[in-house]
Amino acid sequence: MALQRNMDPKKCPMPVQDPMVRRNNFDEVALGYTYEMAVNEAKRCLNCKNKPCTTGCPVQIDIPAFIERVANEDMEGAYQIISKSSSLPAVCGRVCPQEKQCESKCVRGIKGESVGIGRLERFVADWHRENCKDMPEMPVQNGHKVAIIGAGPSGLTAAGDLAKLGYKVTVYEALHLAGGVLVYGIPEFRLPKAIVQKEIDNLKAIGVDVETNMVIGKVLTIDELFEMGNEAVYIGSGAGLPRFMNIPGESLKGVYSANEYLTRINLMKAYKEGSKTPIKHSKKVAVVGGGNVAMDAARSAKRMGADEVYIVYRRGMEELPARKEEVEHAEEEGIIFKTLTNPVEVLGNEAGEVCGMKCVEMELGEPDASGRRRPIVKEGSEFVLDVDTMIMSIGTSPNPLIRSTTPGLETNKKGCIVTDGENGLTTREGVYAGGDAVTGAATVILAMGAGKAAAKAIDEYIRNK
Amino acid sequence: MYKIVRKKELNPTVTLMEIDAPLIAKKAEPGQFIIFRAFEDSERVPLTIADYDREMGTVTIIFQIVGGATMELNTLSEGDCLYDFVGPLGRPSETDGLKKVAVVGGGVGSAIAYPIAKKLHSLGCEVHSIVGFRNKDLVILEDEFNAVSDKVCMMTDDGSYGTKGLVTNALEELIKEGNEYDEVIAIGPVIMMKFVAQLTKKYNIKTIVSMNPIMIDGTGMCGGCRLTVGGETKFACVDGPDFDGHLVDFDEAMHRGTMYREFETHAREASCNLLNKEVK
Repeated sequence: MALQRNMDPKKCPMPVQDPMVRRNNFDEVALGYTYEMAVNEAKRCLNCKNKPCTTGCPVQIDIPAFIERVANEDMEGAYQIISKSSSLPAVCGRVCPQEKQCESKCVRGIKGESVGIGRLERFVADWHRENCKDMPEMPVQNGHKVAIIGAGPSGLTAAGDLAKLGYKVTVYEALHLAGGVLVYGIPEFRLPKAIVQKEIDNLKAIGVDVETNMVIGKVLTIDELFEMGNEAVYIGSGAGLPRFMNIPGESLKGVYSANEYLTRINLMKAYKEGSKTPIKHSKKVAVVGGGNVAMDAARSAKRMGADEVYIVYRRGMEELPARKEEVEHAEEEGIIFKTLTNPVEVLGNEAGEVCGMKCVEMELGEPDASGRRRPIVKEGSEFVLDVDTMIMSIGTSPNPLIRSTTPGLETNKKGCIVTDGENGLTTREGVYAGGDAVTGAATVILAMGAGKAAAKAIDEYIRNK
Repeated sequence: MYKIVRKKELNPTVTLMEIDAPLIAKKAEPGQFIIFRAFEDSERVPLTIADYDREMGTVTIIFQIVGGATMELNTLSEGDCLYDFVGPLGRPSETDGLKKVAVVGGGVGSAIAYPIAKKLHSLGCEVHSIVGFRNKDLVILEDEFNAVSDKVCMMTDDGSYGTKGLVTNALEELIKEGNEYDEVIAIGPVIMMKFVAQLTKKYNIKTIVSMNPIMIDGTGMCGGCRLTVGGETKFACVDGPDFDGHLVDFDEAMHRGTMYREFETHAREASCNLLNKEVK
């Protein structure tokens, strides 16, 4: 049956909570498409033969195929197609930077807006969760064991893929809760934790063991994981220590790393009434940085009751590395963007608390090694931003715990684990790595892509042994 | 779950617990710490390991009941389980090549100083232990220190037990008597460690202090435990908790330690009220 295509040049807008309401709560901002919206949006897809969108997906979901099912109202069929490639569709539909990936390649994007692929992915995953209560079936075991370090997006993806192939997989997580950045970093209003938990429950149903409170490199070494009968190890231990700017005043009370601020709020639930986790209830907050983490910290600060929240970023609006939707949502919620601005000193009062941030204005010069125009200080532009809290969100450097306890595991100058191209093999036989531990801070989907590639390589390695 | 196999009140505000945690017991070394949560909604709190028994598979913690989290922990009894118990975290104290060491412990910090004294003693090092408490009622681990030290100086602020005075008085006296220490290891309140470091700097004796800043994950992720050491930012959870006492910015550490004082006071009162209700 030929479908009636929807030739609307614009994608169906995402229903969202009103900005004035949502900036006072931690409920999810984007409410998701209705059934009718999803079917209508799916009909915008031209089902191109050469599938350019799929080439933009780090886990190569067969995008036109799943969208075709949605257009034909076969939601479970659509889910089955996505889940062949992605272990965490409800997560990716929410947090992937689609505009830089699949949607950037969409043919509909040439003369209008691309198909809302991310929104459709989210709809399908949510539909499945709400309508299909069957737990996935336990795959036939192949008798081989693999250990995975870190229960974040990368480790969980590798775990899911290997378990589906019949491996006995144990995931070791350092924190008390599985999920990695999905539970300690990304806030509830962008990714409800119940959704993450459901994805983890699905992995457990296919036989994945998750051991929390296990800091590999401390309580067990990688060598011991091999002694325990694991034939391969995948390191997906994540980014690590927050960077600071090394400017005066960074140790004042009221200076947070984004990791600490978000961990207190998300993992430790400081946003909930009666939480036992202390957090500063700030009035005026400056978040330094322009990535997704900076947007999350700024929008969380607003929800925690701050009157004024600034994003302070040394380049311009065009250069913000954050997902476009996050920037738009932040602006709608009243976050003030101080771009082309860089802090030079944090000012403190007599009690050692932050009472201001001295900044300089910047202008953009020639492109640097990263291809982005290099920010240069404008002479005599110094000014003081009146804030009582500063949240540093300028990236992380890799965690030293594993590299310092694993002989033969090579790391680069920055401390990132060295791997052999796409399959994630490290300099140790049988040890694979991926995600932020290899790339430095990047995105959930890239970490998932690395986990997926490594799972494939691990399977080949063990089968050919 | 992590079972409490022994619980003992050392003094009215300090409790000892032995926790069943075989994997941690197998790897623990003096100077390292664990992070615990008593209940599912509790805060994560770091505690330095006070002892371990590799054969029994137990880890000993000694804690002072100072805030909501330690108050919650103290409500658990022998046979109960802690919700979370993770470690061993941080770097072990370095003991290589030490021949003569003064170990200084202040208050509940003595509980952390003890395993180091014990290890040094077992390695054949001459150990002089100086332990200080506010008064006689608060003295802990006296027999334990006696068993692993070549000399013990017991100090109390009010003179109700041992010698009246501060640990720095006793340490300076020992130095003046001609004792030549390879190293001084000081563990206790930040203010005490600061004054021990000031004293030893005068005599040019290498001094190690064990820092216990506010921490969340304890694995090198949140950055909350940062300190300035020798002008550089260091993280107590992965770079420490032991640091060169002559390089640590103690004043800054004290300031940062007060970040949540108001919140903690409220939390403590809330816990007290809750406990009182339960008792009634």
